[in-house]
Amino acid sequence: MSAAARPAPPTAARKSAAQRQRRALLIGLTFLLPNILGVAVFTVFPVVFSLVMAFSDWDLTQHNMFKEGLPKFIGLENFVDLITGDRFFRFFANTLFFMMGIPVAVGGSLCAAILLSKDTSAGGGRPYLWLLAGSVLVVSCVMLTASGLGSTAMMLLLIGTACGILLMGVTGGLTFYRTLFYTPHFVAGVATMILWKKLYAKDTGPVNAAVRPVLEVVGGVTQSAPAVPTVIGWAFTALLILLFGWGLGRLRTMRVEGDLGAAAGALPLVLLFIPACIAAIWDLGGPLMRVVPIGISAVAVVQLVRLATAQERFPVNAPSEGFGSALVFALLAMVGQFILLGFAAVALNLAGFVEASAAAGRETLIEAPGWLTNPDFAKPALMIMGFWAAIGSNNMILYLAALTNVPGELYEAADIDGASPMQRFWNITWPQLAPATFFIFVMSTIGGLQGGFEMARVMTQGGPDGATTTLSYFIYIEGFETGRLGYASAVAWTLFILVFSVTLFNWKFGNKYVND
Amino acid sequence: MKLVFLVVSLLLGLASVGIWLTQPDLASDKPVIYWVTDRNPARELQVERFHQWLVHEGHVDEHGKPIVELRLDMANAQVSKIAIQSVSGVASDLIDTYGESMRLLQAMGVLTDLTEDAEAMGFGPNSTYDAMGPDLMVDGRQYRYPANVSVNLMWVNPELLQRYGLDPPPPRWTWADFEQLGVAFKKAANSAGTRPADRKFISSHLMAHVFDLTNGVDPLNETLTGSALNNPAWIESLKTRKRWIYELNILPTPDDVAAAPTEQGFGRSALQLFGREQYAMLPGGRYMLVQLRRYSQIRELDVVEVPHNTFPAAFISTRAVALYKGSKHPELAKLFLAFLASEAYSQTIVEDADALPPNPEFTRGEAFRSPSNYPREHGVHEIFADAAETIAVSMAYSPYVLPSIINRERNNAEQAYFNNRLTAEQAAEQAARLIDRQIQAELYRKPELLAAYARDAARQRVLEELKAEGKPLPETWIKNPVHRAYYQAKGRLTDQTPPEPTPVVLPFDDEHAVSTVNESAS
Repeated sequence: MSAAARPAPPTAARKSAAQRQRRALLIGLTFLLPNILGVAVFTVFPVVFSLVMAFSDWDLTQHNMFKEGLPKFIGLENFVDLITGDRFFRFFANTLFFMMGIPVAVGGSLCAAILLSKDTSAGGGRPYLWLLAGSVLVVSCVMLTASGLGSTAMMLLLIGTACGILLMGVTGGLTFYRTLFYTPHFVAGVATMILWKKLYAKDTGPVNAAVRPVLEVVGGVTQSAPAVPTVIGWAFTALLILLFGWGLGRLRTMRVEGDLGAAAGALPLVLLFIPACIAAIWDLGGPLMRVVPIGISAVAVVQLVRLATAQERFPVNAPSEGFGSALVFALLAMVGQFILLGFAAVALNLAGFVEASAAAGRETLIEAPGWLTNPDFAKPALMIMGFWAAIGSNNMILYLAALTNVPGELYEAADIDGASPMQRFWNITWPQLAPATFFIFVMSTIGGLQGGFEMARVMTQGGPDGATTTLSYFIYIEGFETGRLGYASAVAWTLFILVFSVTLFNWKFGNKYVND
Repeated sequence: MKLVFLVVSLLLGLASVGIWLTQPDLASDKPVIYWVTDRNPARELQVERFHQWLVHEGHVDEHGKPIVELRLDMANAQVSKIAIQSVSGVASDLIDTYGESMRLLQAMGVLTDLTEDAEAMGFGPNSTYDAMGPDLMVDGRQYRYPANVSVNLMWVNPELLQRYGLDPPPPRWTWADFEQLGVAFKKAANSAGTRPADRKFISSHLMAHVFDLTNGVDPLNETLTGSALNNPAWIESLKTRKRWIYELNILPTPDDVAAAPTEQGFGRSALQLFGREQYAMLPGGRYMLVQLRRYSQIRELDVVEVPHNTFPAAFISTRAVALYKGSKHPELAKLFLAFLASEAYSQTIVEDADALPPNPEFTRGEAFRSPSNYPREHGVHEIFADAAETIAVSMAYSPYVLPSIINRERNNAEQAYFNNRLTAEQAAEQAARLIDRQIQAELYRKPELLAAYARDAARQRVLEELKAEGKPLPETWIKNPVHRAYYQAKGRLTDQTPPEPTPVVLPFDDEHAVSTVNESAS
């Protein structure tokens, strides 16, 4: 055996392997270096730097390259300012208000995804039906124009668009509809926001054009039969009390079944009582201030007595057991109560409002709202626009992808068992979508806390009366309009802590349903 | 892969070098200065005239060419962009500023003090309108020079009023006259079937601060140390505006503006609606003519004062050019400021009607007063020029609070009142309280302001006592130009200065702050 053919001694081989590894590492690092540098310079450094700024008195009017003084470390002063001032909490409340729309937006995305997973261009004569419907609409459009009813450009535009959507859907099938639904996501935000401003115009916007006839009918009915809205108002009040009772009963059941610890139930219990407290102190119109607290107190006494006398069927593992589920449930029940309280207040005050309008000789008994100019409507208006944008967003794409992963055998088995479409959804589709839903909720919550800047900047400039200023817009105002970078950084880091806490909460308590 | 990576890196490197070598500054054979300004086609002509002026004045190189090249930067005129670029050392050499933005940039220390150079090169405050002075200065130092000067009056379409059987207003008129004419015009020009998009109004929105001025109101007190909004005059102004907008609806609500068949453009939608004859009047300056000259359907134009309650006055304001402290060519940039004070520049303003020329001398000629190409305008130009020298008042700016904060608090209170969330009295109290709180916070953050504040606050107390007693007020103590002009008009000023009161002490825990005040007091 020649020396060349002889295998290298083990130490030399190890050395050579180590050299190769080092070389590979170096080459790898060289490839990665541009990205690492980019992340370090443009992400890591600014993030760390902003953290330092949050604890300083950095003010652009005092500290910059043309001023001699350096920013001072002021400890938690910016955070104390933030907590003791009223603006942060006001704008945080605005942010939370917008976030209340997240469940609706996610539900909308899911519905859109389910609809778009059906093949509209499939056989069975469906295309012919679509074509027929489209033709009817076109004929309607022509007839409306001929008779003068369709003289407004908006009506023609709407009918024409509807026809186009139906006909294109027949020819393009799912691809067309998926593209159409996804359009809000890739159209420039500013452009759509300007469009929505026009839609929301009080006197000439299509939204109020649709709302106005409804309000006229409601006004007319209220004027001729004032008892009707009053009865409806009390019905809402009854529903509110029932919802409270049901919520409390649900917590009691969780407790009895061993799913809810004593400590874990405290905060959800408090949340359930908040709408009643608000009703008691908020001037909603006489009777509501008394009936809601009294009704809720009565229901509470009954439920608490039942809880006290009930025997626990299963022991509770820990006092904090079931906190996440109970909290989410209580939050949803609280939002539901608030919505019912709002409807009840509107209905019960409607007769008086209409009477006052009639006495004042107003042309319209109930005027359509100024969506972006009235502080009471500006937030809901932006929230509705947010639904439109969110339903056809990446959430829908994620749900579409998740739907394709649901095993077909499960549906086949359900069909054999004779399951209805609703049972198929609740027992197969919904549980199978749990990981996607969890991810979407986490991302939507983060997005919700950070969002609202573009809308506020383009549509309302944060007004009217600060009603649409969110935390992200607040950071911009403080940082770039008054130059208080230290304070703005403190707001940004507080926002980060909120996002982080909510995400942790989601992971701790939401993940359970995904893994189950 | 490694080869591809290397080739791509090399190509990127070469591209970077190519871009570096072809960047505008390097492509020029002479120093280049930049002017960040608004998107106005007139700027091109002004740059051209500047280059011609340089040659005319002998600022040339060995080839007889201008020694500097001025270029426009119209993409960065937003104040937040300018602020960030300034503190990063990359702002344009010359910066267009308005009252509010100049205060912010000056507070940041990014503007060059021009006082001595302005005096030497002929662009000092004495080369412009007297009332303009306070708007160019901070603490007696000059930081900018006007590119144009505007006085807020009201454009009138007399023919439109006459069409509905109404007489155009007199040159000076009151709130009561305005309300009467507005109600009559609304009734005559609109019918029950008028579509919202076609509604006619006596005037477009009246700017709050302009309207308040005509009632002798300013957000700041006489010494600029606190808010002056919590007073009956502002409450009266608020109530009147609400009545005109929401009750009588002689001025458009925001919803009325949204219903109009136009989108905001230059001069906002008001100008287009005045051009469409939906507004009979339009508050604004001479600069409106730049656009109004395109609306040939308006056959007559007139100008009157903004209606007043207690104080016939008008704000004078400016788009003025400041010099960036980080400029690489400050001496060359100052030449442009000298150009702004020259006849050559004023001539461009006279011709294109972009407000008033910086130097009032150039408003006296026929070219300004009776431009031959625009007979419709004869008689209106001199009204602006005369107003600038008679009733014009500069806006007030406090060293203790940024104007943007005052505007924010005032607007919030006003919106809360207009939306029935607060009464006028509550709105006035809230606005004043929040502005005062911001002033206190600013003093806490900037102890170097305390000495001056302590002195001025003490003077303010004396002034309040004198006002309550109806006695004359010492002119030298009144820093706020609005109040000074108001008291002067009412004959309540005196040259005699009372003894200096003991400076006030602020209730701060900060030792440095308290000692600064005490030093000042001693």
